[in-house]
Amino acid sequence: MKLSGVRYLTRQGLENIWKNRMMAFASFCVLLVSILLVGVSVLLFMNLDSMIGGIEDKNEVIVFLNTDITQEQTEQVQSKLEQMDNIENITFYSKEKAMEDMKESMKEYADVFDSLGTDNPLPDSFRLRIKDISHTAETVTLMKEIDNILKIRAPYDFVNVLSEIRNIITWVASAVIIALAIVSMVIISNTTKASVFARRNEISIMKYVGATNAFIRFPFFVEGMVTGAVAGVIATIITWIGYDAVVDLLTHEVNLLNVIGVGSIIPFGKIAIKVAVIYALAGALIGALGSVFSTRKHLDV
Amino acid sequence: MVELKNVSVTYSTGVDALNNVSLRINDGDFAFVVGSSGAGKSTLIKLILKEIDATSGVVMVNGCNLTKLRKKKIPEFRRTIGFVFQDFRLIPTMTVYENIAFVLRVIDAPRKYIRKRVPYVISLVGLQEKANAYPNQLSGGEQQRVAIARALVNDPQLIIADEPTGNIDPELSYEIVELLKGINECGTTILMVTHEHDLVRHFGGRIININSGEVVFDEVIGGVNEA
Repeated sequence: MKLSGVRYLTRQGLENIWKNRMMAFASFCVLLVSILLVGVSVLLFMNLDSMIGGIEDKNEVIVFLNTDITQEQTEQVQSKLEQMDNIENITFYSKEKAMEDMKESMKEYADVFDSLGTDNPLPDSFRLRIKDISHTAETVTLMKEIDNILKIRAPYDFVNVLSEIRNIITWVASAVIIALAIVSMVIISNTTKASVFARRNEISIMKYVGATNAFIRFPFFVEGMVTGAVAGVIATIITWIGYDAVVDLLTHEVNLLNVIGVGSIIPFGKIAIKVAVIYALAGALIGALGSVFSTRKHLDV
Repeated sequence: MVELKNVSVTYSTGVDALNNVSLRINDGDFAFVVGSSGAGKSTLIKLILKEIDATSGVVMVNGCNLTKLRKKKIPEFRRTIGFVFQDFRLIPTMTVYENIAFVLRVIDAPRKYIRKRVPYVISLVGLQEKANAYPNQLSGGEQQRVAIARALVNDPQLIIADEPTGNIDPELSYEIVELLKGINECGTTILMVTHEHDLVRHFGGRIININSGEVVFDEVIGGVNEA
Protein backbone atom coordinates (compact mmCIF):
# COMPACT_ATOMS: atom_id res chain seq x y z
CA MET A 1 0.00 0.00 0.00
CA LYS A 2 1.24 3.43 -0.93
CA LEU A 3 1.70 6.25 1.53
CA SER A 4 -1.19 8.22 0.02
CA GLY A 5 -3.34 5.11 0.54
CA VAL A 6 -2.36 4.92 4.21
CA ARG A 7 -3.11 8.61 4.62
CA TYR A 8 -6.48 8.19 2.97
CA LEU A 9 -7.39 5.18 5.09
CA THR A 10 -6.27 6.88 8.28
CA ARG A 11 -8.50 9.82 7.44
CA GLN A 12 -11.30 7.38 6.66
CA GLY A 13 -10.85 5.76 10.06
CA LEU A 14 -11.02 9.14 11.78
CA GLU A 15 -14.07 10.16 9.76
CA ASN A 16 -15.71 6.85 10.61
CA ILE A 17 -15.45 7.67 14.28
CA TRP A 18 -17.57 10.75 13.68
CA LYS A 19 -19.93 9.09 11.22
CA ASN A 20 -20.53 6.20 13.60
CA ARG A 21 -20.30 8.34 16.68
CA MET A 22 -22.88 6.38 18.68
CA MET A 23 -20.96 3.17 18.10
CA ALA A 24 -17.64 4.90 18.69
CA PHE A 25 -19.03 6.37 21.89
CA ALA A 26 -20.11 2.92 23.04
CA SER A 27 -16.61 1.53 22.35
CA PHE A 28 -15.13 4.53 24.07
CA CYS A 29 -17.26 4.00 27.20
CA VAL A 30 -16.49 0.30 27.39
CA LEU A 31 -12.78 0.96 27.00
CA LEU A 32 -12.90 3.78 29.50
CA VAL A 33 -14.54 1.58 32.13
CA SER A 34 -12.18 -1.30 31.41
CA ILE A 35 -9.08 0.87 31.61
CA LEU A 36 -10.37 2.48 34.79
CA LEU A 37 -11.12 -0.87 36.39
CA VAL A 38 -7.76 -2.34 35.48
CA GLY A 39 -5.90 0.89 36.25
CA VAL A 40 -7.53 1.41 39.62
CA SER A 41 -6.87 -2.23 40.55
CA VAL A 42 -3.21 -1.81 39.63
CA LEU A 43 -2.90 1.46 41.54
CA LEU A 44 -4.61 -0.03 44.55
CA PHE A 45 -2.28 -2.98 44.41
CA MET A 46 0.76 -0.75 44.05
CA ASN A 47 -0.30 1.28 47.06
CA LEU A 48 -1.03 -1.74 49.20
CA ASP A 49 2.35 -3.08 48.24
CA SER A 50 3.98 0.21 49.08
CA MET A 51 2.17 0.34 52.42
CA ILE A 52 3.23 -3.17 53.28
CA GLY A 53 6.73 -2.19 52.23
CA GLY A 54 6.44 0.81 54.55
CA ILE A 55 5.46 -1.36 57.46
CA GLU A 56 8.24 -3.77 56.65
CA ASP A 57 10.70 -0.93 56.70
CA LYS A 58 9.65 -0.26 60.23
CA ASN A 59 10.36 -3.79 61.34
CA GLU A 60 12.58 -3.51 64.35
CA VAL A 61 14.11 -6.19 66.43
CA ILE A 62 15.10 -5.30 69.98
CA VAL A 63 17.80 -7.35 71.63
CA PHE A 64 17.77 -6.84 75.42
CA LEU A 65 21.02 -7.55 77.19
CA ASN A 66 21.52 -9.01 80.65
CA THR A 67 21.47 -6.28 83.30
CA ASP A 68 24.80 -7.33 84.87
CA ILE A 69 26.65 -7.13 81.58
CA THR A 70 30.08 -5.49 81.33
CA GLN A 71 31.19 -3.01 78.72
CA GLU A 72 33.43 -5.64 77.17
CA GLN A 73 30.67 -8.20 76.94
CA THR A 74 28.38 -5.64 75.34
CA GLU A 75 30.96 -5.03 72.65
CA GLN A 76 31.25 -8.77 72.13
CA VAL A 77 27.53 -9.04 71.58
CA GLN A 78 27.64 -6.13 69.17
CA SER A 79 30.46 -7.62 67.10
CA LYS A 80 28.66 -10.94 66.96
CA LEU A 81 25.49 -9.24 65.79
CA GLU A 82 27.46 -7.33 63.19
CA GLN A 83 28.81 -10.59 61.79
CA MET A 84 25.31 -11.84 61.02
CA ASP A 85 24.19 -11.54 57.42
CA ASN A 86 20.53 -10.76 57.73
CA ILE A 87 20.90 -7.76 60.01
CA GLU A 88 21.50 -4.08 59.41
CA ASN A 89 21.35 -0.73 61.22
CA ILE A 90 22.47 -1.94 64.60
CA THR A 91 22.20 0.83 67.17
CA PHE A 92 22.95 0.72 70.87
CA TYR A 93 20.20 1.90 73.17
CA SER A 94 21.56 2.35 76.66
CA LYS A 95 19.56 1.78 79.82
CA GLU A 96 20.02 5.44 80.80
CA LYS A 97 18.47 6.55 77.53
CA ALA A 98 15.73 3.99 77.99
CA MET A 99 14.99 5.39 81.43
CA GLU A 100 14.86 8.94 80.17
CA ASP A 101 12.54 7.99 77.34
CA MET A 102 10.32 6.14 79.73
CA LYS A 103 10.16 9.06 82.13
CA GLU A 104 9.39 11.32 79.23
CA SER A 105 6.53 9.16 78.02
CA MET A 106 5.03 8.59 81.46
CA LYS A 107 5.23 11.94 83.18
CA GLU A 108 2.30 11.21 85.51
CA TYR A 109 4.37 8.47 87.14
CA ALA A 110 7.34 10.76 87.82
CA ASP A 111 7.04 9.97 91.57
CA VAL A 112 7.50 6.29 90.95
CA PHE A 113 10.56 6.90 88.87
CA ASP A 114 11.97 9.34 91.41
CA SER A 115 11.57 6.75 94.16
CA LEU A 116 13.93 4.49 92.26
CA GLY A 117 16.69 7.01 92.83
CA THR A 118 19.76 6.07 90.91
CA ASP A 119 18.66 2.46 90.53
CA ASN A 120 17.93 1.60 86.91
CA PRO A 121 16.19 -1.75 86.48
CA LEU A 122 16.04 -1.41 82.72
CA PRO A 123 18.44 -3.41 80.53
CA ASP A 124 20.70 -2.09 77.80
CA SER A 125 19.55 -3.07 74.33
CA PHE A 126 20.44 -3.13 70.66
CA ARG A 127 17.91 -2.10 68.06
CA LEU A 128 18.37 -3.52 64.60
CA ARG A 129 16.60 -4.27 61.40
CA ILE A 130 16.16 -7.53 59.58
CA LYS A 131 17.11 -7.32 55.92
CA ASP A 132 15.00 -10.17 54.59
CA ILE A 133 11.96 -10.40 56.77
CA SER A 134 10.92 -13.78 55.45
CA HIS A 135 13.87 -15.26 57.36
CA THR A 136 13.16 -13.48 60.61
CA ALA A 137 12.58 -16.66 62.60
CA GLU A 138 15.91 -18.25 61.61
CA THR A 139 17.80 -15.04 62.32
CA VAL A 140 16.25 -14.74 65.76
CA THR A 141 17.14 -18.36 66.56
CA LEU A 142 20.77 -17.62 65.61
CA MET A 143 20.82 -14.51 67.76
CA LYS A 144 19.58 -16.45 70.76
CA GLU A 145 22.82 -18.46 70.70
CA ILE A 146 24.83 -15.35 71.59
CA ASP A 147 25.71 -15.10 75.31
CA ASN A 148 24.46 -12.41 77.65
CA ILE A 149 21.21 -11.85 75.86
CA LEU A 150 18.20 -11.48 78.09
CA LYS A 151 15.43 -11.42 75.57
CA ILE A 152 14.76 -10.76 71.90
CA ARG A 153 11.66 -9.01 70.76
CA ALA A 154 10.98 -9.54 67.04
CA PRO A 155 7.79 -8.80 65.15
CA TYR A 156 7.89 -12.04 63.22
CA ASP A 157 4.26 -13.01 63.55
CA PHE A 158 3.22 -9.67 62.17
CA VAL A 159 5.83 -9.91 59.46
CA ASN A 160 4.66 -13.35 58.43
CA VAL A 161 1.09 -12.15 58.14
CA LEU A 162 2.22 -9.23 55.99
CA SER A 163 4.19 -11.44 53.62
CA GLU A 164 1.20 -13.70 53.36
CA ILE A 165 -1.15 -10.80 52.62
CA ARG A 166 1.21 -9.47 49.99
CA ASN A 167 1.34 -12.84 48.27
CA ILE A 168 -2.43 -13.18 48.28
CA ILE A 169 -2.88 -9.65 46.97
CA THR A 170 -0.38 -10.26 44.18
CA TRP A 171 -2.28 -13.33 43.03
CA VAL A 172 -5.72 -11.80 43.34
CA ALA A 173 -4.65 -8.59 41.62
CA SER A 174 -3.00 -10.49 38.75
CA ALA A 175 -6.11 -12.61 38.28
CA VAL A 176 -8.38 -9.56 38.35
CA ILE A 177 -6.22 -7.67 35.87
CA ILE A 178 -6.02 -10.59 33.43
CA ALA A 179 -9.76 -11.22 33.70
CA LEU A 180 -10.59 -7.56 33.11
CA ALA A 181 -8.23 -7.34 30.13
CA ILE A 182 -9.90 -10.37 28.55
CA VAL A 183 -13.39 -9.04 29.26
CA SER A 184 -12.45 -5.68 27.72
CA MET A 185 -11.16 -7.38 24.59
CA VAL A 186 -14.32 -9.43 24.24
CA ILE A 187 -16.55 -6.39 24.71
CA ILE A 188 -14.53 -4.30 22.28
CA SER A 189 -14.53 -7.08 19.76
CA ASN A 190 -18.31 -7.22 20.08
CA THR A 191 -18.67 -3.49 19.71
CA THR A 192 -16.52 -3.62 16.61
CA LYS A 193 -18.64 -6.48 15.36
CA ALA A 194 -21.65 -4.23 15.66
CA SER A 195 -19.72 -1.48 13.92
CA VAL A 196 -18.72 -3.88 11.13
CA PHE A 197 -22.33 -4.98 10.91
CA ALA A 198 -23.53 -1.40 10.64
CA ARG A 199 -21.17 -0.94 7.72
CA ARG A 200 -21.68 -4.31 6.09
CA ASN A 201 -23.02 -2.73 2.88
CA GLU A 202 -20.01 -0.51 2.58
CA ILE A 203 -17.74 -3.49 3.21
CA SER A 204 -19.52 -5.67 0.69
CA ILE A 205 -19.17 -2.92 -1.91
CA MET A 206 -15.50 -2.65 -1.09
CA LYS A 207 -15.13 -6.37 -1.65
CA TYR A 208 -16.92 -6.18 -4.97
CA VAL A 209 -14.69 -3.48 -6.31
CA GLY A 210 -11.62 -5.46 -5.37
CA ALA A 211 -10.49 -4.04 -2.04
CA THR A 212 -7.94 -6.19 -0.25
CA ASN A 213 -8.73 -7.33 3.28
CA ALA A 214 -5.96 -5.11 4.62
CA PHE A 215 -7.53 -2.11 2.91
CA ILE A 216 -10.92 -2.83 4.48
CA ARG A 217 -9.48 -3.52 7.90
CA PHE A 218 -7.20 -0.53 8.17
CA PRO A 219 -9.84 2.13 8.93
CA PHE A 220 -11.34 -0.12 11.61
CA PHE A 221 -7.88 -0.54 13.04
CA VAL A 222 -7.35 3.24 13.13
CA GLU A 223 -10.81 3.72 14.57
CA GLY A 224 -10.25 1.20 17.36
CA MET A 225 -6.80 2.51 18.11
CA VAL A 226 -7.78 6.17 18.28
CA THR A 227 -10.92 5.45 20.31
CA GLY A 228 -8.82 3.40 22.71
CA ALA A 229 -6.12 6.05 23.03
CA VAL A 230 -8.69 8.78 23.72
CA ALA A 231 -10.36 6.54 26.31
CA GLY A 232 -6.91 6.10 27.87
CA VAL A 233 -6.35 9.84 28.12
CA ILE A 234 -9.79 10.48 29.63
CA ALA A 235 -9.26 7.57 32.02
CA THR A 236 -5.99 9.17 33.12
CA ILE A 237 -7.76 12.41 33.95
CA ILE A 238 -10.55 10.62 35.85
CA THR A 239 -8.03 8.49 37.71
CA TRP A 240 -5.99 11.55 38.61
CA ILE A 241 -8.98 13.42 40.03
CA GLY A 242 -10.29 10.34 41.84
CA TYR A 243 -6.90 9.38 43.18
CA ASP A 244 -6.18 12.82 44.58
CA ALA A 245 -9.63 12.94 46.15
CA VAL A 246 -9.11 9.59 47.87
CA VAL A 247 -5.61 10.52 49.04
CA ASP A 248 -7.00 13.80 50.34
CA LEU A 249 -9.72 11.99 52.22
CA LEU A 250 -7.31 9.51 53.72
CA THR A 251 -4.76 12.11 54.80
CA HIS A 252 -7.08 14.82 56.11
CA GLU A 253 -10.33 13.23 57.20
CA VAL A 254 -9.27 9.86 58.45
CA ASN A 255 -6.40 9.20 60.76
CA LEU A 256 -5.99 5.75 59.35
CA LEU A 257 -2.84 6.70 57.53
CA ASN A 258 -1.17 7.85 60.69
CA VAL A 259 -1.37 4.28 61.82
CA ILE A 260 0.07 2.93 58.60
CA GLY A 261 2.28 5.87 57.73
CA VAL A 262 1.30 8.52 55.21
CA GLY A 263 4.57 8.23 53.37
CA SER A 264 3.44 4.87 52.06
CA ILE A 265 0.86 6.35 49.65
CA ILE A 266 2.34 6.93 46.23
CA PRO A 267 1.65 10.55 45.20
CA PHE A 268 -0.04 10.70 41.76
CA GLY A 269 2.34 13.32 40.40
CA LYS A 270 5.13 10.77 40.72
CA ILE A 271 3.42 8.26 38.44
CA ALA A 272 1.20 10.54 36.32
CA ILE A 273 3.22 10.28 33.11
CA LYS A 274 3.67 6.55 33.50
CA VAL A 275 -0.06 6.10 34.12
CA ALA A 276 -1.00 8.30 31.16
CA VAL A 277 1.33 6.50 28.76
CA ILE A 278 0.31 3.04 29.95
CA TYR A 279 -3.40 3.92 29.85
CA ALA A 280 -3.20 5.37 26.36
CA LEU A 281 -1.10 2.49 25.05
CA ALA A 282 -3.32 -0.11 26.70
CA GLY A 283 -6.41 1.58 25.30
CA ALA A 284 -4.93 1.81 21.82
CA LEU A 285 -3.76 -1.80 21.93
CA ILE A 286 -7.04 -3.22 23.21
CA GLY A 287 -9.02 -1.08 20.76
CA ALA A 288 -6.86 -2.04 17.81
CA LEU A 289 -6.70 -5.74 18.69
CA GLY A 290 -10.41 -5.92 19.39
CA SER A 291 -11.24 -4.43 16.01
CA VAL A 292 -8.68 -6.56 14.18
CA PHE A 293 -10.03 -9.80 15.69
CA SER A 294 -13.55 -8.78 14.95
CA THR A 295 -12.97 -7.65 11.36
CA ARG A 296 -10.85 -10.70 10.66
CA LYS A 297 -13.76 -12.90 11.63
CA HIS A 298 -16.25 -10.93 9.57
CA LEU A 299 -14.46 -10.07 6.40
CA ASP A 300 -14.19 -13.42 4.74
CA VAL A 301 -16.76 -13.32 1.96
CA MET B 1 -14.51 -12.83 -21.82
CA VAL B 2 -16.59 -15.28 -19.86
CA GLU B 3 -16.44 -18.96 -20.58
CA LEU B 4 -18.14 -21.81 -18.75
CA LYS B 5 -17.29 -25.39 -19.69
CA ASN B 6 -19.60 -28.13 -18.42
CA VAL B 7 -20.20 -26.28 -15.18
CA SER B 8 -22.39 -27.75 -12.49
CA VAL B 9 -23.10 -26.23 -9.10
CA THR B 10 -24.67 -28.21 -6.31
CA TYR B 11 -25.27 -26.38 -3.04
CA SER B 12 -24.55 -28.09 0.24
CA THR B 13 -28.32 -28.32 0.74
CA GLY B 14 -28.38 -30.72 -2.21
CA VAL B 15 -29.99 -28.26 -4.60
CA ASP B 16 -28.64 -28.45 -8.15
CA ALA B 17 -28.43 -24.81 -9.15
CA LEU B 18 -26.62 -25.24 -12.45
CA ASN B 19 -26.48 -28.42 -14.45
CA ASN B 20 -23.72 -28.96 -16.99
CA VAL B 21 -23.82 -25.42 -18.39
CA SER B 22 -21.51 -24.40 -21.20
CA LEU B 23 -21.50 -20.79 -22.22
CA ARG B 24 -19.23 -18.31 -23.91
CA ILE B 25 -19.52 -14.55 -23.90
CA ASN B 26 -16.91 -12.92 -26.10
CA ASP B 27 -15.15 -9.64 -25.52
CA GLY B 28 -17.34 -6.78 -26.63
CA ASP B 29 -20.59 -8.74 -26.42
CA PHE B 30 -23.79 -7.46 -24.87
CA ALA B 31 -25.87 -10.29 -23.49
CA PHE B 32 -29.16 -10.40 -21.60
CA VAL B 33 -29.55 -13.24 -19.13
CA VAL B 34 -33.19 -14.02 -18.51
CA GLY B 35 -35.07 -16.68 -16.58
CA SER B 36 -37.54 -17.01 -13.76
CA SER B 37 -36.43 -16.69 -10.14
CA GLY B 38 -34.63 -19.74 -8.87
CA ALA B 39 -33.61 -20.71 -12.38
CA GLY B 40 -29.92 -20.25 -11.68
CA LYS B 41 -29.24 -16.65 -12.78
CA SER B 42 -27.88 -15.61 -9.40
CA THR B 43 -25.73 -18.70 -9.23
CA LEU B 44 -24.26 -17.80 -12.60
CA ILE B 45 -23.41 -14.30 -11.37
CA LYS B 46 -21.92 -15.61 -8.14
CA LEU B 47 -19.77 -18.00 -10.13
CA ILE B 48 -18.43 -15.21 -12.30
CA LEU B 49 -17.64 -13.09 -9.21
CA LYS B 50 -16.08 -16.10 -7.53
CA GLU B 51 -18.37 -15.79 -4.58
CA ILE B 52 -18.96 -19.52 -4.99
CA ASP B 53 -16.98 -22.25 -6.72
CA ALA B 54 -18.23 -24.63 -9.36
CA THR B 55 -18.81 -28.16 -8.13
CA SER B 56 -17.46 -29.37 -11.45
CA GLY B 57 -16.38 -27.82 -14.75
CA VAL B 58 -14.20 -24.84 -15.58
CA VAL B 59 -15.05 -21.14 -15.24
CA MET B 60 -12.83 -18.67 -17.10
CA VAL B 61 -13.35 -14.94 -16.63
CA ASN B 62 -11.09 -12.27 -18.14
CA GLY B 63 -8.36 -14.82 -18.62
CA CYS B 64 -8.47 -16.15 -15.06
CA ASN B 65 -9.32 -19.74 -14.36
CA LEU B 66 -11.57 -19.19 -11.36
CA THR B 67 -11.45 -22.81 -10.22
CA LYS B 68 -7.73 -22.37 -9.68
CA LEU B 69 -7.68 -18.74 -8.54
CA ARG B 70 -6.18 -18.41 -5.08
CA LYS B 71 -8.14 -16.56 -2.42
CA LYS B 72 -5.48 -13.89 -2.13
CA LYS B 73 -5.84 -13.06 -5.80
CA ILE B 74 -9.60 -12.47 -5.64
CA PRO B 75 -9.40 -8.69 -5.03
CA GLU B 76 -7.05 -8.29 -8.00
CA PHE B 77 -9.38 -10.35 -10.17
CA ARG B 78 -12.46 -8.40 -9.16
CA ARG B 79 -10.83 -5.18 -10.27
CA THR B 80 -11.26 -6.37 -13.85
CA ILE B 81 -15.04 -6.49 -13.43
CA GLY B 82 -17.58 -3.75 -12.78
CA PHE B 83 -20.87 -4.44 -11.03
CA VAL B 84 -24.25 -2.80 -11.08
CA PHE B 85 -26.80 -4.05 -8.58
CA GLN B 86 -30.55 -3.88 -8.47
CA ASP B 87 -30.46 -1.96 -5.20
CA PHE B 88 -27.66 0.43 -6.38
CA ARG B 89 -25.53 -0.22 -3.26
CA LEU B 90 -24.18 3.28 -3.06
CA ILE B 91 -22.59 4.28 0.22
CA PRO B 92 -25.13 6.64 1.79
CA THR B 93 -22.57 8.65 3.75
CA MET B 94 -20.59 9.55 0.63
CA THR B 95 -21.38 12.02 -2.12
CA VAL B 96 -21.72 10.95 -5.74
CA TYR B 97 -18.14 11.99 -6.37
CA GLU B 98 -16.83 10.12 -3.32
CA ASN B 99 -18.80 6.99 -4.15
CA ILE B 100 -17.06 6.81 -7.50
CA ALA B 101 -13.63 7.98 -6.36
CA PHE B 102 -13.80 5.32 -3.67
CA VAL B 103 -13.35 2.55 -6.26
CA LEU B 104 -10.15 4.11 -7.51
CA ARG B 105 -8.85 4.61 -3.98
CA VAL B 106 -9.46 0.94 -3.31
CA ILE B 107 -7.17 0.03 -6.20
CA ASP B 108 -4.61 2.58 -5.04
CA ALA B 109 -4.85 4.83 -8.09
CA PRO B 110 -2.77 8.02 -8.06
CA ARG B 111 -4.67 11.05 -6.77
CA LYS B 112 -4.02 13.01 -9.91
CA TYR B 113 -5.69 10.28 -11.95
CA ILE B 114 -8.66 10.16 -9.56
CA ARG B 115 -9.18 13.91 -9.90
CA LYS B 116 -9.28 13.58 -13.68
CA ARG B 117 -11.09 10.31 -14.10
CA VAL B 118 -14.02 10.74 -11.70
CA PRO B 119 -15.45 13.96 -13.23
CA TYR B 120 -15.08 12.33 -16.63
CA VAL B 121 -17.23 9.28 -15.80
CA ILE B 122 -19.72 11.49 -13.99
CA SER B 123 -20.10 13.46 -17.21
CA LEU B 124 -20.51 10.21 -19.15
CA VAL B 125 -23.65 9.40 -17.16
CA GLY B 126 -24.77 13.03 -17.28
CA LEU B 127 -24.70 13.84 -13.57
CA GLN B 128 -22.25 16.75 -13.51
CA GLU B 129 -24.77 18.85 -11.60
CA LYS B 130 -25.17 16.22 -8.87
CA ALA B 131 -21.53 15.40 -8.17
CA ASN B 132 -21.76 16.71 -4.61
CA ALA B 133 -25.20 15.34 -3.82
CA TYR B 134 -25.75 12.40 -1.49
CA PRO B 135 -27.47 9.25 -2.79
CA ASN B 136 -30.67 9.92 -0.84
CA GLN B 137 -31.03 13.25 -2.66
CA LEU B 138 -31.19 11.46 -6.02
CA SER B 139 -33.96 9.63 -7.85
CA GLY B 140 -33.69 5.87 -8.42
CA GLY B 141 -32.65 6.39 -12.02
CA GLU B 142 -29.97 8.86 -11.03
CA GLN B 143 -28.68 6.55 -8.32
CA GLN B 144 -28.39 3.75 -10.82
CA ARG B 145 -26.48 6.05 -13.17
CA VAL B 146 -24.06 6.76 -10.33
CA ALA B 147 -23.70 3.02 -9.85
CA ILE B 148 -22.96 2.61 -13.54
CA ALA B 149 -20.36 5.36 -13.39
CA ARG B 150 -18.84 3.55 -10.45
CA ALA B 151 -18.75 0.27 -12.37
CA LEU B 152 -17.13 2.10 -15.24
CA VAL B 153 -14.53 4.15 -13.45
CA ASN B 154 -11.71 1.61 -13.28
CA ASP B 155 -12.21 0.73 -16.93
CA PRO B 156 -13.18 -2.92 -16.46
CA GLN B 157 -13.22 -5.44 -19.27
CA LEU B 158 -16.58 -6.75 -18.15
CA ILE B 159 -19.58 -5.16 -16.49
CA ILE B 160 -22.16 -7.34 -14.81
CA ALA B 161 -25.51 -5.69 -14.23
CA ASP B 162 -27.82 -7.68 -11.97
CA GLU B 163 -31.39 -6.47 -12.58
CA PRO B 164 -30.22 -2.88 -12.95
CA THR B 165 -33.72 -1.69 -13.82
CA GLY B 166 -35.49 -3.67 -11.12
CA ASN B 167 -35.92 -0.77 -8.72
CA ILE B 168 -36.57 2.13 -11.06
CA ASP B 169 -39.49 3.48 -13.06
CA PRO B 170 -40.13 1.63 -16.34
CA GLU B 171 -39.64 4.71 -18.51
CA LEU B 172 -36.26 5.33 -16.89
CA SER B 173 -35.29 1.70 -17.43
CA TYR B 174 -34.78 2.32 -21.11
CA GLU B 175 -32.40 5.15 -20.30
CA ILE B 176 -30.32 2.84 -18.15
CA VAL B 177 -30.09 0.16 -20.81
CA GLU B 178 -29.24 2.81 -23.43
CA LEU B 179 -26.41 3.89 -21.17
CA LEU B 180 -25.14 0.33 -20.86
CA LYS B 181 -25.41 -0.10 -24.62
CA GLY B 182 -23.35 3.02 -25.10
CA ILE B 183 -20.68 1.68 -22.78
CA ASN B 184 -20.75 -1.60 -24.69
CA GLU B 185 -20.13 0.24 -27.94
CA CYS B 186 -16.88 1.50 -26.47
CA GLY B 187 -15.72 -2.10 -26.13
CA THR B 188 -16.75 -3.23 -22.66
CA THR B 189 -18.42 -6.63 -22.43
CA ILE B 190 -21.77 -6.40 -20.69
CA LEU B 191 -23.81 -9.11 -19.06
CA MET B 192 -27.20 -7.91 -17.91
CA VAL B 193 -29.52 -10.08 -15.85
CA THR B 194 -33.16 -9.11 -16.08
CA HIS B 195 -36.63 -10.52 -16.12
CA GLU B 196 -38.22 -7.58 -17.87
CA HIS B 197 -39.11 -9.17 -21.17
CA ASP B 198 -40.39 -5.90 -22.64
CA LEU B 199 -36.96 -4.42 -22.25
CA VAL B 200 -35.28 -7.41 -23.87
CA ARG B 201 -37.73 -7.40 -26.76
CA HIS B 202 -37.20 -3.69 -27.25
CA PHE B 203 -33.43 -3.79 -27.43
CA GLY B 204 -32.83 -7.27 -28.77
CA GLY B 205 -29.33 -8.72 -29.02
CA ARG B 206 -28.04 -11.88 -27.48
CA ILE B 207 -30.50 -13.52 -25.12
CA ILE B 208 -29.46 -16.30 -22.76
CA ASN B 209 -32.42 -17.96 -21.07
CA ILE B 210 -31.68 -20.09 -18.05
CA ASN B 211 -34.29 -22.46 -16.73
CA SER B 212 -33.91 -25.06 -13.98
CA GLY B 213 -30.16 -24.72 -14.08
CA GLU B 214 -29.81 -25.22 -17.80
CA VAL B 215 -29.39 -22.89 -20.77
CA VAL B 216 -32.59 -23.42 -22.71
CA PHE B 217 -32.18 -20.59 -25.22
CA ASP B 218 -29.11 -18.72 -26.43
CA GLU B 219 -29.61 -16.74 -29.61
CA VAL B 220 -29.38 -13.26 -31.05
CA ILE B 221 -32.76 -11.70 -31.75
CA GLY B 222 -33.59 -8.46 -33.48
CA GLY B 223 -34.81 -5.65 -31.28
CA VAL B 224 -37.88 -3.56 -31.99
CA ASN B 225 -35.83 -0.43 -32.35
CA GLU B 226 -33.46 -2.05 -34.82
CA ALA B 227 -36.22 -3.21 -37.12
